Amino acid sequence: MLLELRDIHVHYNKVAALKGVSIQVPSDGIVTMIGANGAGKSTTLRAISGLTPVTSGEIWFDGERIDTLPADKVVARGIAHVPEGRRIFPDLTVEENLRTGAFLRTQRAEVEGDLEDVFGRFPRLKERRRQWAKTMSGGEQQMVAIGRALMSKPRLLLLDEPSMGLAPVIIQEIVRIIEAIVKQGVPVVLVEQNAELALNVASYAYVLETGTVSLAGAADDLHENEHVKRAYLGV
Amino acid sequence: MTELILQTVVNAVYAASYMSLIAVGLVLIFGVMGVINFAHGELYMAGAYTVVALYSQVGVPFFVTVVAGLIFVGLLGLLMEQSFFKPLRDNPLGGLIASIGFLLILQTSAVLGFGVRMAHIRPPTQAKFELIEGVVLTHQRLFVIIAAIVLLSLLHLFLRKTKFGWAMRACAQDREAAALQGISLSQISRIAMFIGAGLAGVAGALTAPLVSPTPYMGHSVIVTAFIIIIVGGIGQLEGAVVAAVLYAFVHTFVTTFYDGVVADITGLLLMLLVLVIKPTGLFGTKERA
Repeated sequence: MLLELRDIHVHYNKVAALKGVSIQVPSDGIVTMIGANGAGKSTTLRAISGLTPVTSGEIWFDGERIDTLPADKVVARGIAHVPEGRRIFPDLTVEENLRTGAFLRTQRAEVEGDLEDVFGRFPRLKERRRQWAKTMSGGEQQMVAIGRALMSKPRLLLLDEPSMGLAPVIIQEIVRIIEAIVKQGVPVVLVEQNAELALNVASYAYVLETGTVSLAGAADDLHENEHVKRAYLGV
Repeated sequence: MTELILQTVVNAVYAASYMSLIAVGLVLIFGVMGVINFAHGELYMAGAYTVVALYSQVGVPFFVTVVAGLIFVGLLGLLMEQSFFKPLRDNPLGGLIASIGFLLILQTSAVLGFGVRMAHIRPPTQAKFELIEGVVLTHQRLFVIIAAIVLLSLLHLFLRKTKFGWAMRACAQDREAAALQGISLSQISRIAMFIGAGLAGVAGALTAPLVSPTPYMGHSVIVTAFIIIIVGGIGQLEGAVVAAVLYAFVHTFVTTFYDGVVADITGLLLMLLVLVIKPTGLFGTKERA
């Protein structure tokens, strides 16, 4: 397993947000976490990337324990996190946003190559590279956020609600991009409220309910699960 | 009358220059670290006393002491960051209170080292340009204007063209997202503190021969700097420069044609006016998270 969470507990001011979450992420494909608002999906991602301290439990990434590392050191290990709400830098240009993703990298030529690669993936960003990021549409901002994460040359990509607030046609475009990234060998942990979308693209899925994993299994199986159908797929 | 107006313009440009050096440093520190550095006026004072100590008392060449002022005060900034801003990172109010404590330490050190009286410094040069009949610009004031233009241009290039410059702006806009890019807030804060403090130090060192330093000279400066950053929009570097120019012109003209107290009141009214019309300041956008 590339990433493994073992019995992770997280508290926000004494209130338990995660009550023993264990998750495994293999080194290819998409693993998804679905669940209602406040179930602990984003908190799980924040715990992995070091934004939220873990109260107990262990997080292992590629044979190394990472749950005590601060966020900027976790990135250095190869985990890129596209946070909820995209969190691009509004008063940086598109290109500057992308380049901050490569902050830790020292091989200049490689970074330039990857920038061209990101522009190849998102031609619209290339056209608007000198534009302030805050002037971009929601879909374009999501592309900036994903592109910025790719600029760190990650070995694992965490995506928090990439479909949030986007029109269906844009969501389809983002999904195609995510699938292309996975095909090129970068595994993805996808957090989604849109369970239909998540279960369609993922190979394995976890259902989070009030801070614990209530169900886990192959995405296709969960898609047919009665409880999942009723609670998350609305059928 | 024309000469008087032109002379006042020259004086205002000089005042705008050193005030922007101070205000930009204050804004940089607030932007990156989210703390209000109350000791900023005393950093300016420390720059002035670097000149008193090295230039007046030891006889080191003036421009060497200016560079020494930048480095010494920059290091004071680093000391502040390491000793209390960093441990109080999640407590902006604590940082503010600690900076007030540091203000008192610096002030008391200056009193103990140099006494409470004004230190008179023989200017390194008495030369002046006569721009036109009756309008003069002393070389000493010109140094301040040149230093402000050069240093603020360099800062602009640093922020727009270098990786650490982007990282610094990124931290000012969204610290958590910056950390997710591998940017260390501690490292960027040290750089911001050194630059912000160093700029105040240079302003103090260059203006020392013109203002006769006292250990309490920071007070009036910090009040003016606060007015400037509120008018410009808190956290906005360009806003700080524009507001410094605006404030300096208003203040200098009112001082020349009425008097200094009315000028101070006008400055505060200017701030009030901006707050009523555009509460985020001239360049401010909506409040940050």
